[in-house]
Amino acid sequence: MSRRLHPLRRPGNHTVDTVLADQNGLGGRHLGLGLSLSAACLVLYLFGRFLWEWFVQPVPWQSVSAWLLLVVLGVLAHTTSRSLATTMPTWLFSAVLAGSGLVVVLDLIGCWGLASQGIYPTAAPAVGALLMSLVTRRPSRQILIAAGALGAALSVAIIAEDRGDNLLTLAPGILTIALSVIPPGVGVAVARAFRRMVTRELDLVLVQSTVSQPRFAVGMLASEELARLDLDAETLLDDVAQGRTPLPLSAQTANTAASLATQLRLHLIEGQTETWLHHAVTESAFLGPAVTLIDSTGLAGLLSPIQRDALLLTIWLLVGNTAGATTVKVTLGPITPLHGVTTYQKVRFPIRVTTTGVRRRRVDPETWQAIRMVGPHVDSNPEGSLRVDIECSVDNPADA
Amino acid sequence: MQRIFKERDRMLRRISQTAGLAGSATTLLCLLVPGAVGGDILVSCVLLVLAMAGGQYLLGQTGALRWILCTVLTGLATILMLGFGSHPGQTLNSGEESAISIIAATAMGSVAAVLVISRKRVILLIALFAATIAGVLAVIVFAPSSPLTLYLTATGWLGTALLGWWVGQSVPRVLHRIAAIGRAHRAERHASELEAQRRQDARLLHDTVLATLTLLAHSGVGVNPEALRQQAGDDAKLLRQLRLGGLPTPRRSGVYTLEPATESSLGNTLESVRQRFGRMGLEVDWHGSGQVLLPSNVLDSFLLALGECLENVRRHSGVKRADVTITDDENTVRAMVTDAGVGFDLGKIGNERLGFAESVVARLRDVGGNARLFSSPGSGTTVVLEVPK
Repeated sequence: MSRRLHPLRRPGNHTVDTVLADQNGLGGRHLGLGLSLSAACLVLYLFGRFLWEWFVQPVPWQSVSAWLLLVVLGVLAHTTSRSLATTMPTWLFSAVLAGSGLVVVLDLIGCWGLASQGIYPTAAPAVGALLMSLVTRRPSRQILIAAGALGAALSVAIIAEDRGDNLLTLAPGILTIALSVIPPGVGVAVARAFRRMVTRELDLVLVQSTVSQPRFAVGMLASEELARLDLDAETLLDDVAQGRTPLPLSAQTANTAASLATQLRLHLIEGQTETWLHHAVTESAFLGPAVTLIDSTGLAGLLSPIQRDALLLTIWLLVGNTAGATTVKVTLGPITPLHGVTTYQKVRFPIRVTTTGVRRRRVDPETWQAIRMVGPHVDSNPEGSLRVDIECSVDNPADA
Repeated sequence: MQRIFKERDRMLRRISQTAGLAGSATTLLCLLVPGAVGGDILVSCVLLVLAMAGGQYLLGQTGALRWILCTVLTGLATILMLGFGSHPGQTLNSGEESAISIIAATAMGSVAAVLVISRKRVILLIALFAATIAGVLAVIVFAPSSPLTLYLTATGWLGTALLGWWVGQSVPRVLHRIAAIGRAHRAERHASELEAQRRQDARLLHDTVLATLTLLAHSGVGVNPEALRQQAGDDAKLLRQLRLGGLPTPRRSGVYTLEPATESSLGNTLESVRQRFGRMGLEVDWHGSGQVLLPSNVLDSFLLALGECLENVRRHSGVKRADVTITDDENTVRAMVTDAGVGFDLGKIGNERLGFAESVVARLRDVGGNARLFSSPGSGTTVVLEVPK
């Protein structure tokens, strides 16, 4: 799980731009609410414990004020930022952190040396719960650093506290540290897994749209590029026409015109020579680095929509399940000559999926299901990594 | 649908694993505080906690029911051993109390996250929770101690179950939205492909734009600036119309007609080619039939080839006049482009003439036509272009 996905950049792609501009908008807010509720349970416990301690003997005024301050911070963090945006503004987060620091200091001062009387910090660990409720609205790293600082502060205080011979009171201290650090830790783990899942799924549905392409098509990137070149040419020509660029042109502008002409020519000639699978692999931030595609004759374009969907899912699952040093090589063809009595309305060719770093028993069962949709297959395990040979049969385009 | 549940379960297992292992680690720390637990009991407890950690790890990997049970049972055994084993009947010391709290609340409570996804599992959740509470209750009654332990246990289970349940709702929700985004994106891709197709289909427009750009690439030297500006303005206007989604039908020259006409007339388009080259300083004289109907793709290629030939004359021949003779018979339309310029040796056609082969011959062959070139140094050049009707 070490590989982090960077937001995909797809020029001019409006749907994706909108989504990536506000990743927390995609389920993050809902998840944040759940984390906040869970954190609230913990705060309730800590507050109950605080009341319990108070019930038995008066607790220091510092701890009381720490709780008051914490309540103010919680209200501030959750009312202000929720109405502003799905991400918390830095000034507000800094203010909450500063306030939390004060809460911790007050509470630790209040409880200093009282461990043997059964009084432990309660407002300070509740800061951990506050952090947990904020994980979806700030980068995980910041939350982790804050939680680490909280844990460190509590540890220092607990180790430094003078407890004479009675080392046993260390244990409730450890419990306190755990209660302050585990919740934000779990929160960060959940938020990270969630973000990762969203990014991956988004990547998949976006490349899945290639499945419905014709046999050869212009990728979205090429299409955008052509539009851009047209616009550049238009601007240049308009500048010349309006006299904004004097004639004869300077060497630099002439160069620009020459390179525009070259690129435009390339794009017009290049045309539609790539298959949907090529577009899927090149457009995906996830597949791009890991997948090599060898399909010189464009056989992928012959696959039926169901086969395409399944092949894409196969590749995606193979790459996805073992993040890290996984590579997948997909080779299509050559077309198998048909002998004997067969129907000539079919074209047959092999698809060989060679992988590195994919252990057979770790392969998702769904992968096999997807492979079967593409065609009958044989899998082997040379050099400890999966290899699948799929025998693929498609309608002959000549008969269509 | 299947994948949604799988992703959800993976997230829930992750919650269980993280919380559970953190809880076990804390438990070990509490147990190891000097004086908290006596020798034999300590060893058994540590072993049990290690077994529990193993269960939690495997639960995180597989989510199997047996690891849930393993985690809860080893946890329960540890709690009972701590409560009843070391000093029966006496108050628990704060080390034991903390260890019991953290086992019951976090290490065991962590399984709640994976138990909220189906009715069967919820029933199991309630049973396991009841067993845990009963175990803790038995201990604090038997060895009188603070009810806070019970409170923390309930909090741990409730917090984890709530988080698990909520995540279980979040994941399908977001995946449905992602699927909707995918559908929108598919439409967008389709539109973008159509757009690319439209732009690529605007071949003639691009041909004139390319011709003008080529002139500009030579800094516009040798061309009347006024005429070049005029041409650039026309092209820019057409590109703008193309960009705005229109189908530019320029008044000045029928060459640019982008409407999907099946047949177009040659005559009025030739006039526009003449005007274009006139502005660039090459006088073109037309001879022969003016009204020939051609399929639009053939016309495109024909005019492109003609334009390229005239451009070559303009640039390389050294004369300012060219003759174009159009003839047609039943099957073929033929254009002969002649100039009285410097000419060249056909045998020495170098790379600089590769452009001719690519742009003229290839395009004509695309539509079933052909081009032939006649020239020798000093006696001008003649190109014959042929396309089928």
